[in-house]
Amino acid sequence: MSHMKTLSTVWLVLMTITLISAYIAEAAEPSTIITLFIALSIGIKGKLVVDHFMGLSSAHPRLRSVMNAYFYVLPSLIVLVFLFPETIAELTQL
Amino acid sequence: MTDLVTSYGNKVELDNSFRWLSRENGIPGNPAIWVGILAEMTEFALMFGILFIAKVHNPEVFSAGPAQLNTTAGVLNTLALLSSSYFVARAMAAIRADRCRDAVNWLWLAILAACIYLGVKSWEYYWNSTHGISTETNLFFTIYYYVTFNHFLHVMWGGGALLWGIARIKAGGYTAKNHEGLEVIASYWHMVDLVWIIIFPLLYVLH
Repeated sequence: MSHMKTLSTVWLVLMTITLISAYIAEAAEPSTIITLFIALSIGIKGKLVVDHFMGLSSAHPRLRSVMNAYFYVLPSLIVLVFLFPETIAELTQL
Repeated sequence: MTDLVTSYGNKVELDNSFRWLSRENGIPGNPAIWVGILAEMTEFALMFGILFIAKVHNPEVFSAGPAQLNTTAGVLNTLALLSSSYFVARAMAAIRADRCRDAVNWLWLAILAACIYLGVKSWEYYWNSTHGISTETNLFFTIYYYVTFNHFLHVMWGGGALLWGIARIKAGGYTAKNHEGLEVIASYWHMVDLVWIIIFPLLYVLH
């Protein structure tokens, strides 16, 4: 696949994931499955932008790891906040 | 110590600890912008951390908040920013192929998308006010305004940088051989998009 075609495909995938997330926002009740889907969609979108739009897919592994970690850690925290809100509230009590 | 030559021909001495952040390692732009990008992303990560903590301590407020927002505005802004990021990536591909006119056209499209974002977000703030929503409505909206207005400012000055990129291409400042400065602008712009990828579901989708 040519570079231009890859960029266009990535763009379409990003738009599609966004529209599905928006539909979920309007239609579905909060649940573990929905939260997992949203967290996964954030991870996928972040990785696509980092790798293809920013062009870091072949960059120094240290920077790639830091950028990718952002999209592993934050979605994981979203899931943890949904699954264990009381425990996190206890841990963050002043 | 190593030297970098900026697009203006200035020599910059770098500390060894930043040497790996160079274009020789496949990293677009220059080390300074990556220090800036990582600092900005850390700043937003702290805001997200505050949001998480506020959410677990105020579950009712944060469960009701997203439903009170205008989801259509959030979706339109997400589509606008993702598109602008795509247009900037196309502009970079064009400049690397020495197609300067194409690069300028793609950058204008990116600026158009940025303007759509700024217009929609301004309208959304107005829509909120007509529905009785303000920074003092509750903790969810305080954080919503703090995070989104902060991001709004980043889009504004990022858009200004895109305009500067166009001016530099037109002045012959960026070419296939010399476009490090445009990579700096593009990398910053993608960071603005990356942050919104997290803001959108956090504030508009997850109840």
